[in-house]
Amino acid sequence: MGKGGSGKTTTSSVVARTMAREGRSVVALDCDSNPNLGISLGIGDEETERLVSMRQALDEGEEEHAGTWDKVIDRYGSDGPDGVRLAVVSRIDNPEPG
Amino acid sequence: MKVAFVGKGGAGKSAIAGTFARALARRGTPVLAVDSDPLPGLAFSLGLESDEAPIPDDAVVERKEGEEGPRFRLRPGLSAAEAVEQFAVMAPDGVRFLQFGKVKGGGPQLFRSQLAFLQIVRQLPGDRWNVIGDLPGGTRQAFTGWGSFAETVLVVVEPTAHSLLSGRRLARMANLEDGPQRMVAVVSKAREPGDAELVTRRTGLEVVATIPWDEALADAERQRLAPIDAAPHCPAVEAVELLADKLVEEMVR
Repeated sequence: MGKGGSGKTTTSSVVARTMAREGRSVVALDCDSNPNLGISLGIGDEETERLVSMRQALDEGEEEHAGTWDKVIDRYGSDGPDGVRLAVVSRIDNPEPG
Repeated sequence: MKVAFVGKGGAGKSAIAGTFARALARRGTPVLAVDSDPLPGLAFSLGLESDEAPIPDDAVVERKEGEEGPRFRLRPGLSAAEAVEQFAVMAPDGVRFLQFGKVKGGGPQLFRSQLAFLQIVRQLPGDRWNVIGDLPGGTRQAFTGWGSFAETVLVVVEPTAHSLLSGRRLARMANLEDGPQRMVAVVSKAREPGDAELVTRRTGLEVVATIPWDEALADAERQRLAPIDAAPHCPAVEAVELLADKLVEEMVR
């Protein structure tokens, strides 16, 4: 937690990548209502936006809620460099995806 | 004029909005600067010691049963302009400052104050007042109607991947039903000649000002001073002055 722009996302992404390189399984959860952890992890703009759209589709009733954490990470996640799995789990207040 | 500054957290909204408000006030028109961020920011960049500028409880009444509109509003007979005269804090250069409510109070009291705040910024006549809003970072509040008082929304964008992505998301505010008449970008912390073009390409927004990266601005923030007082002639402050001139000129036309 911290003020916007103070480096939360950048710090978490480096911690996640470092731990993955040390051989741990890492799941990174983006809980920001304006999610951008995917960029710092190296997953890229497009894939980050795809995860956001998936999460948004859930709010709009176009997607089923996942029943368990494993399913959340499976369905709303994406694999990034060093094997870090990113899932966007925030509530997104952006009514016009695309 | 009524404008709102939005953008990713840390992009420089408060520093730019505060400097912009002071610059406008020096040009002679009354300015109300409003902070709808529960974290302080704008007050310091205006040059105020404290960010306490609440609307008192007794200025707000609950809607009577059967009446239309929001649940709380200013008490009958109290106009938006009178509320500003009575409750806004006076900052240097005569800028009036109002804060929409902070987290610590919480609950119904905060809600009363927030609805009255929204009523003031919406009803204050834009031909006689300049209303400058500083919204919290990110997309949430911007997309829930808090920027709807503004005819122009200025999206503050740093030339970084994170900030550009936020800028692109915020640009979609234009599609909202009660979205702003005009959305434009202000490049913040620019370091390269191509930064303005990059912002336009990635957000689709016209760039109306480019504020260069400026150590003097960062120093002012570290010392909790208004940039326009701490470094009145630094390149970043001068770029905000140009933005003020540009928007005033456009308004006259």
